[in-house]
Amino acid sequence: MQEFMQLVLSGIASGGIFASLALALVLIYNAMGLVNFAQGEMAMFATFIAYALIEHGMSYWIALPLTLAIAFAGGVVIQRLVIRPVERAPVLTLVIITLGLATLFNGLAGFLFGYVPRSFPSPFSVQTVNILGAFMSYQDLGVIAVSSVVLLLVYLLLQRTTIGLSMRAAAHNPEASRLLGVRVSWMLALGWGLASLVGALSGIMVAPVLLLEPNMMQTIIIYAFAAAVLGGIESPLGAVVGGLIVGVTVNLAGAYLVGGDLQLAVAFLIIVVVLIVKPNGLFGRPSVRRV
Amino acid sequence: MQLLEMTEVRAGYGPTQVLHGVSLAIADGEIVSLLGANGAGKTTTLRTICGGVRWAGSIKLLGRSLHRMSTEDIVRAGVAHVPEGRGILTNLTVDENLRLGDHLRRDRDQVRKDYGRVFEYFPVLRERQHLSASTLSGGEQQMLALGRALLMRPRLMLLDEPSLGLAPLVVKSIFEIIRDINRTDRVGVLLVEQNARIAMDLSTHSYVLEVGRVAVTGLSSELKNDDAVRRSYLGY
Repeated sequence: MQEFMQLVLSGIASGGIFASLALALVLIYNAMGLVNFAQGEMAMFATFIAYALIEHGMSYWIALPLTLAIAFAGGVVIQRLVIRPVERAPVLTLVIITLGLATLFNGLAGFLFGYVPRSFPSPFSVQTVNILGAFMSYQDLGVIAVSSVVLLLVYLLLQRTTIGLSMRAAAHNPEASRLLGVRVSWMLALGWGLASLVGALSGIMVAPVLLLEPNMMQTIIIYAFAAAVLGGIESPLGAVVGGLIVGVTVNLAGAYLVGGDLQLAVAFLIIVVVLIVKPNGLFGRPSVRRV
Repeated sequence: MQLLEMTEVRAGYGPTQVLHGVSLAIADGEIVSLLGANGAGKTTTLRTICGGVRWAGSIKLLGRSLHRMSTEDIVRAGVAHVPEGRGILTNLTVDENLRLGDHLRRDRDQVRKDYGRVFEYFPVLRERQHLSASTLSGGEQQMLALGRALLMRPRLMLLDEPSLGLAPLVVKSIFEIIRDINRTDRVGVLLVEQNARIAMDLSTHSYVLEVGRVAVTGLSSELKNDDAVRRSYLGY
């Protein structure tokens, strides 16, 4: 029982990481009708920026918000320079462009920082504390705390502010939003910025566990896909809940059913099962199309 | 100075030209109806004013040219367009839809009063405030679109077939409310309607479009009783 509780709690910690990246995928999906295949690589690159800042002597708690701000600005710039010119292009063009961005960031990170895995500093100790009879590391607790705070802030921004309202409107129905005076193009750029920010958060949270190198996010992005699909690819809340479920499920399945090597296969299994059984996910609304 | 003045406007979609030189004028605070058969270019005229279609010619709002202005900026200059299909954001609640009507305003006290008016006109919107707008019926969505347009406090409202798909009693009350908003806020209205009779009762001037040109124009009170116009263009 104690082991079970421990697996659940550490599953929630990794779930928080998946949730952040899944939320990034959902925000972009809502804005352009397509997931951003470069999301993981953008997160990895932002993590390298945080790494460089900390290496140059900056405190972790200054480097973290600064990196998130840089990631936000970077997301806005990418939307303005790369995505906006092809806004009306067919979906396949956008797929190729985001795949190109992924390759670009991956290569750039390798070029600038090399492929040797680096240990990423964590402000939380690996010592454990007893919670409800289970032992949890401060590292896991810290990840849960930081992820919760950032996700809550994003939620409040989207749900409780006028700018968040405009962003949701612009992503859902650009034409109708323009007629209400919403600056749709800028709202989509803000969506990219926000996605880039929460993606960067997932990279910075996972780096101390995985070691930082250019391919670090390539498994995490699969878990994030699973989380986003499970939650319903259009639902930000679904992405967070999906992330937590995937985190816990994968952890438990790894320990009791399939072993650590096949954990990633569990994520694929979740994607396949959801798409067959409940294609709209837990929080997605059924898509109705007039014919 | 006219509220809106269109002169020899040509517009279309890609190679297909829809408007072949449309001229019309709306005075401040006036209701003008735009009539004609399906495909005559009524909806395209509204979309052109809002910058949704490429056009040539001249369109002026209060003397200011709308040439090359984006839809957002035209709206911010005081045009509220209730489009075909009503432009309801179905992923948002009724209240959030209304807030998108007033999100550019700074006169919070007046906004609060305007909400009072919206809920007086359409009590059902108050009851459904926190529900998703997708749960509203067609008539209720029309009310939401009109209420939201009121909250924008525009100088000019473009209304595309507000009666479409509504029960006759609802149509009657909606048109009374349009007249009331027009008088209270001194907002000009360009009204596209299939129901020519009810539109001409409401408006001072009417324009009848035929394949992208103004075929007939004049005082609504006169056109209404002109048998030739009625038979040729309005079909009643």
